[in-house]
Amino acid sequence: MRTPIAYFLVVSAALFTIGSVGVLVRKNALVIFMSVELQLNAVNLALVAFSRMHGALDGQVLAFFSMVVAAAEVVVGLAIIVSVYRRRQSANVDDVNLLKW
Amino acid sequence: MLKQIWLVPALPLAGFVVSLFAGKRLGRYAGWLASALVVAAFGVATAIFLDLASLPDTNRLVVRRLYEWIAVGGFHVAVDLRVDPLSMTMALVVTGVGAVIHVYSIGYMRGDPRYGRFFAYMNLFVFFMLTLVLAENFLLLYLGWEGVGLCSYLLIGFWHERPAAASAAKKAFVVTRIGDTFMLIGIALTFLRLGSLDFNQVLSASVCRSNGFCPPTSQPPGVFTVIALLLFAGAIGKSAQVPLHVWLPDAMEGPTPVSALIHAATMVTAGVYLVARTHVFFENSGVALTVVLVVGLITAIYAATVALAQDDFKRVLAWSTISQLGFMFLALGLRAYWSAVFLLVTHAFYKALLFLSAGSVMHALDGETDLKRMGGLRRTMPLTAVVCSIGALALAGIPPFAGFFSKDDVLAAANQTGHVLAWVIALAAAFFSALYMARLVFLAFFGEDRTERRAHESQPVMTVPLVLLAIGAAFGGFLGANETRGLLQTFLAPVLGRVPEPTQGLSGHTLAGISVGVAALAIVVGWLVYGSGRIDWVALRVRLSSLHRFLARGWYVDDAYGAVLVSPGKAGSAFLAYVVDARVVDGAVNATGRLVRWLASVGRRVQTGFVRNYALAIFLGALALLVYVGFRV
Repeated sequence: MRTPIAYFLVVSAALFTIGSVGVLVRKNALVIFMSVELQLNAVNLALVAFSRMHGALDGQVLAFFSMVVAAAEVVVGLAIIVSVYRRRQSANVDDVNLLKW
Repeated sequence: MLKQIWLVPALPLAGFVVSLFAGKRLGRYAGWLASALVVAAFGVATAIFLDLASLPDTNRLVVRRLYEWIAVGGFHVAVDLRVDPLSMTMALVVTGVGAVIHVYSIGYMRGDPRYGRFFAYMNLFVFFMLTLVLAENFLLLYLGWEGVGLCSYLLIGFWHERPAAASAAKKAFVVTRIGDTFMLIGIALTFLRLGSLDFNQVLSASVCRSNGFCPPTSQPPGVFTVIALLLFAGAIGKSAQVPLHVWLPDAMEGPTPVSALIHAATMVTAGVYLVARTHVFFENSGVALTVVLVVGLITAIYAATVALAQDDFKRVLAWSTISQLGFMFLALGLRAYWSAVFLLVTHAFYKALLFLSAGSVMHALDGETDLKRMGGLRRTMPLTAVVCSIGALALAGIPPFAGFFSKDDVLAAANQTGHVLAWVIALAAAFFSALYMARLVFLAFFGEDRTERRAHESQPVMTVPLVLLAIGAAFGGFLGANETRGLLQTFLAPVLGRVPEPTQGLSGHTLAGISVGVAALAIVVGWLVYGSGRIDWVALRVRLSSLHRFLARGWYVDDAYGAVLVSPGKAGSAFLAYVVDARVVDGAVNATGRLVRWLASVGRRVQTGFVRNYALAIFLGALALLVYVGFRV
């Protein structure tokens, strides 16, 4: 028998929640970054699960897109974090608050 | 030759263009060039005049179309020049007197730093004045009308370094503008009601035949009254009639040839020309004729009394001009159009002569215009004294000089049409006219010498024009010597109608006798007070100082305008500028700015710079969207 869709969704929701909380409460940019990846993967999981449920491939295709975009985003994001760290000797996002009023 | 009428205005226009662009390079030849062109225009005009006079009475009207000017829908205006007895009479006065004054200016303006510019403006003036009198439609006339106003402004303010000249120029422009605006409305109304602006159509559509038959016009009865009064308002402004007369005395700040040409002989008579040209409108409306009569009469007597108390040579002449223009309007109001035009022509001669004499005196005395500091000039300036006296006698109405015939015509018209009260008042005005002229001549040229420097006679280039004008002032009256069948009257008859034989009132000879008697009496009084030395006129003036001041200040009309119109106007402007504009308008703008600044100071707090705040906002936003979508489904 098939695993019911709800199980996947519960896992996905749990992952997403963990990611969200991580983004909101952690200060280290790298950890925030990882949390973002967690969110993305939670969404990917949901997409694939729905895809399986409907018997269509659309969700899986979209998950691949999402992965590609995430990879590109990691490239840019990590580069920024590294250069911020080099400049400030810190990866704490609260130290990078110049862009304000 | 009649087809070459375009040459008449074109020649001065060419002079204007050349003098404007090459005035400096031409140097002192600019004056000769400008004069030669106006003389040439006079020559052409004379030739056309002779051609016209050789045509039979009823055919004396040629319209020469130069080109279509404006064509919008049913509105067509062309640049048409009208050759008829009235327009040619005016053109001859403009070019003839204008040419003489141009030549005189060569001497008078010598050494002026803007010599070329002066002649450019003078030529431009002659061009516009000719446009005005030769125009076949109202719009072209209006073009000339405004053009002469512009030239008047430029020439009054010619010496604009002097504040008095600059403000006089402005005053003249603004005051005449008031009348012009009414006139423009009148022109618009003419087109709306009568469907055309061409004199040919408009005037013949509304003309009343001499037998009393008026064509059935579909106009409501008041239309002609309104149009006529609006046009007359323009005439009031341009011809300096009460209540818009205040600009003319101030206009004397301009160079004297300007006063002679614009403010005596030509431009100020444009109003008289306009009323004469459109007299059928006025005849269709009895009210308008009465208004013209009353305004003219009031102006004639009022300005004549004011002229009595002026100490400035030129201002005496300016007020005298206003008064004489009043006589012309009086004649128009009496339906004696021929007399008005006759007076216009003779007045052009003798008033230009008087102004140029004033210029000659000023030239000799280094710009002195105060009569109190003249006296005895006949010994040093005999020629000027003689020609000025001729002008004065002409104005006073002593036969055989020009003014006698023309003024007597007007007075006779008043008496013989049954306007006895008008006749008496006009007679009083004539008495004052003769008195102020006598005063002027006796103070300036007779008695003891009160000058501060040695006067000298002017050079020939100035005296020859004086003599020419003196001839005109002396013999010009014979143009219309016979009241009903004079040369001028007969010539003008196709336009202005035949002169009716008098049916009531006193006989012509009696009237002439009375007016000569009045003039002679005034001159005798003038001689007693100012010439005989038996009466101390200075003491007399002190004794009557309040009356003197009342007259000298023009019955305080100017002061009243200052108090009633100018001061409140200035106060209102100050209120608008310093309160409404500075506080209300600027305040609203500043308040808007402050509001935006305040909103920004509050709103920008959103931008904390902390990444996590932004992330939270994104989450909350996403959540809100989710909730919204969820509940909608």
